[in-house]
Amino acid sequence: MTTVVEPSAAMRDKKTSSLAASASFGTFVIVFAIAAPVIYVLSELANWPLFTYHPGTNRIDFGWAAARANEGPAMYWYGWIATMLIGSATLGAVAARFPRLSERIPLFLIWLLPLLALPILAYALMPFWTR
Amino acid sequence: MSFVFDYISVNTFWTILLIVHALLAVATLGALTHQAVSVAMPARQLAGASGFVTRFRAVHGAGYATAVCVLWVATFLLGAWIYTKYRIAVRIPLERTGYWKTLGFFELKEHAAALGLGLLPAYWYFWKNPKNPAYDGVRKAVTLLLAAICWFAFLTGHVLNNARGFG
Repeated sequence: MTTVVEPSAAMRDKKTSSLAASASFGTFVIVFAIAAPVIYVLSELANWPLFTYHPGTNRIDFGWAAARANEGPAMYWYGWIATMLIGSATLGAVAARFPRLSERIPLFLIWLLPLLALPILAYALMPFWTR
Repeated sequence: MSFVFDYISVNTFWTILLIVHALLAVATLGALTHQAVSVAMPARQLAGASGFVTRFRAVHGAGYATAVCVLWVATFLLGAWIYTKYRIAVRIPLERTGYWKTLGFFELKEHAAALGLGLLPAYWYFWKNPKNPAYDGVRKAVTLLLAAICWFAFLTGHVLNNARGFG
């Protein structure tokens, strides 16, 4: 005789990875997602790249640095992303110490802020649209 | 990496990277589009014969989440590497020929891809908690936003490559 055993709730829950089941991680990702577009836009508008990359010479300067004569352009995009990732991860890690914090955060900010960031970033690219 | 250039030209090397980048983008696009359609227009329980559109949107969205994250990061990293070459070999000639709006859209695409990167941990978390009704709305919105970013990035990159590639 074969007995079919229904998986218990505990067994079903085991299917969710420990990270996905963690309330602290939930708070971390929610705060990270909200902070990331804000920090990225601020970093772009206020010139806060963590570093500047010069592709012509493979040189890296800490923070913002102007392009040097006869060395080609300077690239800030990598530095903006580094600022965003480190800043958001730091805020997320601090928030993760308070796992129930995420229950008080309006989740719509997670998709609304990146949407609002795009027109601001497009405006910052004005020289491309007006030439 | 310089040993590679004993066998292939510099342009061939970057063109191969660009093609791999595009193929990864296609995979990301396909997975995200399936998932986005499945949350925007969920199929009711399949009974009997169903059409292509119904089968397209009847996928189990949660099963795509990790793959989408891995593909997004892989596409992003490869694109970030290619961007160093693009900045000198592609953008400067396009500036000289006045393709300002094309270049502007490409820069906007880079911003959008970075914003998408910041969404990935939350996106993954919401899909890995599919039974939590508190995340239903935000899971749908984040998935649709990532799909829109992916389509925008893909089409913009394609148009820019038409304007000037590495070859």
